Amino acid sequence: MNKGYEGVYIVGAGQAVYRKGATDPVHRILWEAMNNGLLSASLDWKQVDGLAVSAFVLPPDNVTVVAEHFGLAPRWLFQGLYGGASGVIGMLHAARAIQAGDADVVACVTADVFDTARHNELLDQFNSSMRDYLSPFGFGGANGTFALHTRLYMDRYGATREDFGKLCVAQRANALLNPNALFDKALTLDDYLNARVIAEPLHLFDCVMPCTGGDCVVLASERVAESLTGPLVRILGGGEWHNYPKDDIYSLTGGWEAFRDRMYDQAGCGPQDMDFAQLYDDYPVMEFIQLEGLGITGVGETAQFIRNTDTTVNGTFPINTGGGQLSAGQAGASGGMIGVVEGVLQLRGEAGERQVDCHKGIVSGYGLVAYGRGLSCSAAVLERA
Amino acid sequence: MAGKDKPSPRLSEVNRPFWEACNTQMLKLQRCQSDACGKFIYYPRVCCPHCHSGDTKWTEVSGHGEIVSYTAVHRPHHETFYAEAPILFAAIKLDEGPIMFSRLTDRVDSNTTLVGQRVHVTFVDHTKDQKLPFFSLSAPLENGRDS
Repeated sequence: MNKGYEGVYIVGAGQAVYRKGATDPVHRILWEAMNNGLLSASLDWKQVDGLAVSAFVLPPDNVTVVAEHFGLAPRWLFQGLYGGASGVIGMLHAARAIQAGDADVVACVTADVFDTARHNELLDQFNSSMRDYLSPFGFGGANGTFALHTRLYMDRYGATREDFGKLCVAQRANALLNPNALFDKALTLDDYLNARVIAEPLHLFDCVMPCTGGDCVVLASERVAESLTGPLVRILGGGEWHNYPKDDIYSLTGGWEAFRDRMYDQAGCGPQDMDFAQLYDDYPVMEFIQLEGLGITGVGETAQFIRNTDTTVNGTFPINTGGGQLSAGQAGASGGMIGVVEGVLQLRGEAGERQVDCHKGIVSGYGLVAYGRGLSCSAAVLERA
Repeated sequence: MAGKDKPSPRLSEVNRPFWEACNTQMLKLQRCQSDACGKFIYYPRVCCPHCHSGDTKWTEVSGHGEIVSYTAVHRPHHETFYAEAPILFAAIKLDEGPIMFSRLTDRVDSNTTLVGQRVHVTFVDHTKDQKLPFFSLSAPLENGRDS
């Protein structure tokens, strides 16, 4: 049995304003994102009976305490513990709950309050394997971890810094059309290539800028969605996988291939039918690996694809149409939702100057970096209803 | 904010034999005691992640391995490492099987490739109470400086 997500709609999407600095309370950023999501859906807070939350800096609080803080009395709760895979996973779990009748309106909200110091502090203590077996060796945080993957990918498949650079430059061009992106200056390939080295072969523009921000999508049952006048988005298929493949840190995969056939089977379409991809872009190498894992490019062939493809919003296959984390900002756990919100805005026709012509698209998540790699991946195929 | 002490492993009932062995300049890994498995395990765990057996035994290993990938970290994640940057951080596949992340004691030109180079363990003082297992190139590089 491979049941899809019939009877559930994404009815709204909103963001908190992305900003530099880490002074705001994370509860306020979650509230802002959720409030804007509900405004976009034309739904009232009173109608929310389910809440999914992911935020790294939330402890000692959790989703239950957030519900109380907001004055909600929900009958369904979810907290994403899968790092940057949590955004998509929260949405998919919420859709299952709505299908089962356990909730009617679920707000799926992510936020974080980050700057570089707070990001490093978190990563140093992210999990016990990192704390005890990586951090004492001066591993350089996520930058050091993914520098190793980037070098291997370049060695194994002949990808160059120019290939990663072309993707980063295209995302920056997209970000310039996104009023909620923190980077507002054009990036040239020369800027990218000559930027200061962080952890070889990664330079400055391969790395995200930790920031404060929040993202929200609102899901509703068919009964509720029928009463709304705004555009609706369907989840055609989706999936998640964790620790795949086990026992192999350097397979240069992220796990998407473990579930992608099942996801496309649910969706009744394939990777060739996608009008855009909103990828988890902690590092450009993970976007390359993601395109391969999602079946959009062949294994080891992404460099060639990038050389031949315009991935800006004016191109034939737009990637990270809002700029992604690399050019909009990396707000912790919201990095796993920023692409979902962007995909929903695009499918609702609400993406303003960066609007692309689209009916279907893929959104993807990745995260929970532990001993040498991210442990969790997720993806979903969305369609304008 | 980050403190002045270097980040250090937190000793527990699970990992204490590993870190105590490092202080006596021995590299010890857990080995699965299941006859059907027998694999070596790193990092330290409560069970074998290959066959899920709970029966493991601390065993001294050769300390030899090969570099799988590496980076020179110019911008460390913690201020206590700034003075030592760039830090050569590497993934090393031990001859017994597991991948161990560690640092290289060598200094090399940035355009020298280290992937595939043989290395062996060497123990370096980290704090006054703890040595860490670092690795050194086992043979001089043909095309790079090895000091």
